[in-house]
Amino acid sequence: MARSASLHVAVIGAGIVGAAAAHFLAAAGARVTLLDASGPAAGATGASDGAVSVASKKPGPMMDLARHARAFYGACEADGLLGGLFHRRSTFLVARTPLEADLVAEHGADLAAAGERVLDVDRPTLLSRIPGLGDGVCFALEIPDDGHALGYEITQRLLQGSGVTVRRNASVSEIVMRAGQAVGVAVRGDVLAADAVLVAAGMGSVGLLGLGDILIPRKGQMVVTDRAAAGRPAIDGHLMAASYLAAKRGIVRDNAHIGLVIDPLVTGQFLIGGSREEHRCDHTTDAVTISAILRDALDLYPPLRERRVLRTFAGVRTASRDGLPIIGPHPHLGGVTIATGFEGDGICLGPFMGAYAARMILGEAPGVDLSMLAPQRFSRVEALA
Amino acid sequence: MNPCFYWIDRPVSFRPGETIAAALLRAGIADLGAGGGIVPGRVFCGIGACQACVVAVLGEGAVEACLTPARPGMRLAPPPSLGPHHERAGHE
Amino acid sequence: MSEQAMSELPILVVGGGPAGVAAAVSLAEAGLRVLLVEQRERLGGAIHRQPAPDAPQIWRGPARHRRNWTQLTSRLERVAARIELRTSSVFLGVDGAGRFLCEDRRAGQVFARPVRAAIVAVGAVERIRPFEGWERPGVMSAGGAQVLLKETGRPPEGPIVVAGSGPLLLAVAAQLARAGNPPLAVLERGKPWSRPKALASLMMAGPQLAEAAAYATALALNRVPYRLDSEVLGVSEAGQGLAIRVRLGTVERVLQARQLLVHDGLEPNRVGISLPAPEADVPVVLAGDGREIVGADAALLDGQRAAAAVLARLGRAVPVAALEAALGKARAFQRDLADALKSPPTLPSPETMICRCEGRRYADFTALPAEASAREIRLMGRFGLGACQGRFCGPTLAELRGEPLPPASPPRWPLRPVSLAALASFSMDQTET
Repeated sequence: MARSASLHVAVIGAGIVGAAAAHFLAAAGARVTLLDASGPAAGATGASDGAVSVASKKPGPMMDLARHARAFYGACEADGLLGGLFHRRSTFLVARTPLEADLVAEHGADLAAAGERVLDVDRPTLLSRIPGLGDGVCFALEIPDDGHALGYEITQRLLQGSGVTVRRNASVSEIVMRAGQAVGVAVRGDVLAADAVLVAAGMGSVGLLGLGDILIPRKGQMVVTDRAAAGRPAIDGHLMAASYLAAKRGIVRDNAHIGLVIDPLVTGQFLIGGSREEHRCDHTTDAVTISAILRDALDLYPPLRERRVLRTFAGVRTASRDGLPIIGPHPHLGGVTIATGFEGDGICLGPFMGAYAARMILGEAPGVDLSMLAPQRFSRVEALA
Repeated sequence: MNPCFYWIDRPVSFRPGETIAAALLRAGIADLGAGGGIVPGRVFCGIGACQACVVAVLGEGAVEACLTPARPGMRLAPPPSLGPHHERAGHE
Repeated sequence: MSEQAMSELPILVVGGGPAGVAAAVSLAEAGLRVLLVEQRERLGGAIHRQPAPDAPQIWRGPARHRRNWTQLTSRLERVAARIELRTSSVFLGVDGAGRFLCEDRRAGQVFARPVRAAIVAVGAVERIRPFEGWERPGVMSAGGAQVLLKETGRPPEGPIVVAGSGPLLLAVAAQLARAGNPPLAVLERGKPWSRPKALASLMMAGPQLAEAAAYATALALNRVPYRLDSEVLGVSEAGQGLAIRVRLGTVERVLQARQLLVHDGLEPNRVGISLPAPEADVPVVLAGDGREIVGADAALLDGQRAAAAVLARLGRAVPVAALEAALGKARAFQRDLADALKSPPTLPSPETMICRCEGRRYADFTALPAEASAREIRLMGRFGLGACQGRFCGPTLAELRGEPLPPASPPRWPLRPVSLAALASFSMDQTET
């Protein structure tokens, strides 16, 4: 407390990760200024599905991390911080070809090995849970402990009454260094003094830290439909096609590939995604990609034919070169911590990673070992020197 | 004898060339039901902009009543309608 | 694409009202090919909405409107060979790859056509100043009631109250009266006597004044009271109808009626329509009330002006000075009219519905942080995010905030909700390439 009470932290980026870090820093007594070039949830946080899903994660550290992060959502929901905003729901991993069935089975085995509950579902059970599911579905697994949260709602809740000073339209041009130590950030010619700086600005981190060869934008196009149900999810689980797993596991890397998910929102609408277009950081959508997503979605879940599309939009995920998030102290810039590169997993990992970054900045024991995510890994030569 | 369509189960007659909205209003059906919306539907702007008169055509999808010509035999209901599959869905 | 192939592409004209048809005819008369897209089965727009085949004949307003439309449609027939008409088709906007997208409702398919230029003439949306209960069944926009009356030839049944602001209130009330169901009252919010200067210049307008006089006569003959400085305060259900709480000057009353028709002026229907830089490969030009509220007479001229702008881009300059002068007059008339009827914004009660699509009330808006960005107003407030895409709550919020909500960037498509199945079956139309 003694340390945090005198500490002023500038957090750059008011997405879910930055907002969570700011919240937990402020809760520990630090003075926090959260700066964003636009405003809260203006980037990928506000343009994403809300899957808090272990089922979708690549085996290895990401799967384990997602289990921690999802449990953290559960704890924050229980203690009231995120009360009413996190909803338990199943993820259904579905295959439409024998090859896809093998992939889903393999992924299920990886999930089980990581300690996740994985249930076999036969077709009659599946149809009773998701009436109208396409005839092509030949194999499915249910991951019953997944959940859902909307990134922008989480961001808003984390900031509400947190004591964090939020500065909108505050584009940070530079981190001000003195004797190898961060002493503030420059915003439109003014310097805001700070004892520590957290950069959680997604692709915006590139300009500040020169991570141009490490961070890669990956655009995703999505669709929101009209309501299929009034004020509740229209189907009893999140549909995740094998094509999505193939993309997440790195089996397919193709800008035209559709990793299909059909996400029933609590409003009764569907969010359907999406493309994975590497090195695209514009937010436009195009009819060729959107219609390909919808054709695939109709094949998996034909009742969508009675829906209307209300909006199409694109989010830009910030991916790292090696596919893992980057979180930890900057190897050269004292007092600067980085938290970015969450790609499409920011909503799932955000609150947990924000809390982790906050503990790191406060000099507290992090609780879990995430050293493999440290930025250090991209500058091994310097680290060894 | 004029042709008719069905609003939920009620037959509504219309004149050829008329929109669904015109026929519903003439039959005294102003409240188009809350359906999936939050507020009951109703014919409002008449030009397809406000989306308040959207009705579900069973087996097809949702359309603006004020833009869509009535057709004999069409079965209409407040949106959303997920079709026959969802009639038996076991949601609370 | 080769220059020759490019020169064979049509000019897309969206909207079959007076501005769109005038633009299409002008372009076709200049020898160009036109693709004219209209959301209804027939041309006419809101002003010239055609009656259903068996509908009884009704009084359809001043004769000059009918004359203008008859002249225009006969010109259209003479150049019909150069105009491809796609009815029952809704313009969805321009996608990120520059495709002009339309939904053919009859075929259940979304199509894109390469075009040389586009003229968007999608008319106006009525402005509604919300009050408690405006979202109820039984409350309709005055313009909406007017197009239905034109379509069916029959006025709504039961007692009607017409309220809000603007000349349309008069026109609708007069048409209802002539069709056999005069409204109980017409309540105009404005107080033109407090704006004598604007009133005086309005008196100089020729045809519009005659039109207003014709409407006033119809109302007088039917003893319909036209009350200035009067407005609706709230509406609740009462038996089979509505209890309408109104303010008449300084007095509050409750009127019982079956229908309440509301209207507070017009707003160009521009949601989601962005204009590329003037030097863009495929220029996009707005026309008619969708560009600026100029009224039906001037919409014809504005369609010609838009066609001239496209022709100029293609290197065929056409003189437009006379058009611009006439448009200037129409603009001055609209400005005087708006000025004469101008009234200060009314603060809605906390319970007043602002966004009908998402059921968001004024209290939900005031709960947002004062410095909330447009994005936060959309995502967290859920304003401007519903099926009408902010066409109704947008102007209300703009008035309450004192500045418009910035449009989504980049511009979003679809401009209107589109059938998912139709969009899934999207195909590039190959006939033109």
